[in-house]
Amino acid sequence: MKTPGQVWERAVTARVSKGAIARYGFAVASVAVAVAAGYLLNYLGLDETVFAVFMFAIAATSWFSGSLPAIVAFVLSALSFNFFFTPPPYRVDFTRTDFAYSSAFLVFAGLAIASDTMRRRAEAAVRQSRDELELRVIERTAELKASEEILRERANLLDLTHDTIFVRRMDNVITYWNRGANELYGWSSHEALGRPSHALLHTEFSEALEQINAKLFQTNRWEGELVHATRDGRRLVVSSRWSLQRNERGEPFAILETNTDITERKRAEEALRESRDELEVKVKERTAQLSKANEELQSVNKELEAFAYSVSHDLRAPVRHIAGFGELLQKHARDALDESSRRHLGLILDSANRMGTLVDDLLAFSRIGRAETQRTTVNVERLVRSVVADNAPDAQNRNIEWQIGELPICQGDPSMLRLVVSNLVSNALKFTRTREPARIEIGSLKHRPEEVVFFVKDNGVGFDMKYKDKLFGVFQRLHSQEAFEGTGIGLATVQRIVHGHAGRVWAEGAIDQGAIFYVALPATKGRL
Amino acid sequence: MNGLKRILLVEDDPKDVELTLTGLGEYNLANEVVVVRDGEEALDFLFRRGQYQKRPNGNPAVMLLDLKLPKVNGFEVLEAIRADEKLKMVPVVVLTSSNEERDLVRSYKLGVNAYVTKPVDFHEFVNAVKELGVFWAVINEPPPGSVKRT
Repeated sequence: MKTPGQVWERAVTARVSKGAIARYGFAVASVAVAVAAGYLLNYLGLDETVFAVFMFAIAATSWFSGSLPAIVAFVLSALSFNFFFTPPPYRVDFTRTDFAYSSAFLVFAGLAIASDTMRRRAEAAVRQSRDELELRVIERTAELKASEEILRERANLLDLTHDTIFVRRMDNVITYWNRGANELYGWSSHEALGRPSHALLHTEFSEALEQINAKLFQTNRWEGELVHATRDGRRLVVSSRWSLQRNERGEPFAILETNTDITERKRAEEALRESRDELEVKVKERTAQLSKANEELQSVNKELEAFAYSVSHDLRAPVRHIAGFGELLQKHARDALDESSRRHLGLILDSANRMGTLVDDLLAFSRIGRAETQRTTVNVERLVRSVVADNAPDAQNRNIEWQIGELPICQGDPSMLRLVVSNLVSNALKFTRTREPARIEIGSLKHRPEEVVFFVKDNGVGFDMKYKDKLFGVFQRLHSQEAFEGTGIGLATVQRIVHGHAGRVWAEGAIDQGAIFYVALPATKGRL
Repeated sequence: MNGLKRILLVEDDPKDVELTLTGLGEYNLANEVVVVRDGEEALDFLFRRGQYQKRPNGNPAVMLLDLKLPKVNGFEVLEAIRADEKLKMVPVVVLTSSNEERDLVRSYKLGVNAYVTKPVDFHEFVNAVKELGVFWAVINEPPPGSVKRT
């Protein structure tokens, strides 16, 4: 609160200091007022106090208008006092007494001026220091504002993160709670602040709290998984990171806890593990089934092998004996037998020989599946020409038009593929026996890049397409033994070998229109 | 009864013995054959023990060996004689029904000199046996210690 005096002083100062005229005017006016007051005092008979009135005018001028107007007021006061109030009246006449008065005026004016100057200086000093203080207050206020701004920004940043961040004192009481925490747990910052965190969140620890604390105090950090409950009672698995805060003396005072919700991830991991376990169980089951099947297959295979081995050794012997002793009988007893018995003996020998062929063919066929196959590059054309040459004795005395086209090169087992070509060519020869001329064409197709296809085509007796699936079966025959001899194993052998090369075999034909047999093999490496 | 003969036939099947002898008979080699009926008897003969203890010394010029034999099979016979210093050089021809590759491979691994599958066809069979007999007992020069041709 300002005093009324100060208000007045301010007002006067403001007015007076407006200009030099006002300041010097104030000097003249105050002396004039002093003259008027002197007359009044004289009239009242108080002549001694007039001098003091002039002193007051000088002092007032000094106070309000400064040093120079005060000197003007002093000169005017000295002259006016001399002129109006010292004898002789109305005349400026310096006597000894006047000189004393003037000296007193001068001393007083000097004192007033000096004290006023000091006052002004003091005032200026006070004003300056006040201004400085004000400036500093403004500056500090601005600084505080700026740092508050930074703090607010940081707090906002902490609120921006998806992570849950809160700070708790060593007694576990929450002192900071970000928006992420609010969103995750459902507790607002108002509700959470001041409450113990473990109780609020029903924390379940993955290891003993003592162990966690030991680690925390040792390294200032702890990381692990916790289970927390939300406000509405949902259980969350969180990945939790704790940082210990210490004061300047190194004493721990707070723990910053950052949590990430990994419930979904955990659930997914769990689901993944479960399905993996299930899969593993299934794989094990399947593997067991397969290995059992494999074992069975192997034992069947072994039995089959033993069977074939025994057939090879034991079945051929009696056939050989029938044929052998039959021949001996025919040789030695031919003349003793009648016509019909000789025919019967001939039939027995025929059957025995056929049985021998059958056994041998069957053994060869069964061996295809068991034999070790090799794979090399096979020139089909060379193979065909060599097979045709081998069959030359059968072709003797027959009119056969061979037509061998360009044939591919493929990968396979040469002896197996030779068996394929050999069977197809001898079939073609056999079933064109009634043709004049017989035409046998061996060529290739180039219809797909991934396989090579060659064919054996004849103008023989052909076959009915409705039996085309029976062609390749073991012991399947479409002709009588009388018309065309055979065991019914040739095409089965062909098919078995071609399938073993990951290839295909098929036939087209019509009765009396000839037949065509196709063999397709993988162009590069097929599995044997 | 078992004088010095150049061919030892190891064969358990009497019919095969007869057919084989028929074949060998075509070149008058039937008298040169000693027939034993199983592997054990074959080894007794070769090592001159048991009933053959007192047979005259001398190895056959060739042994025709069946593989499937009672008691001791053909492979075991082969193994035993190839391990014996005096017998290891005796020429051995396997004469068998089987044309299984594993038999073939095993026989050659054991040091057989020839491997012949008995053909079903009588003429082929007779020819095969005849040629075998002639080659090994007549044409071929047997190792030292074999029975000489008389």
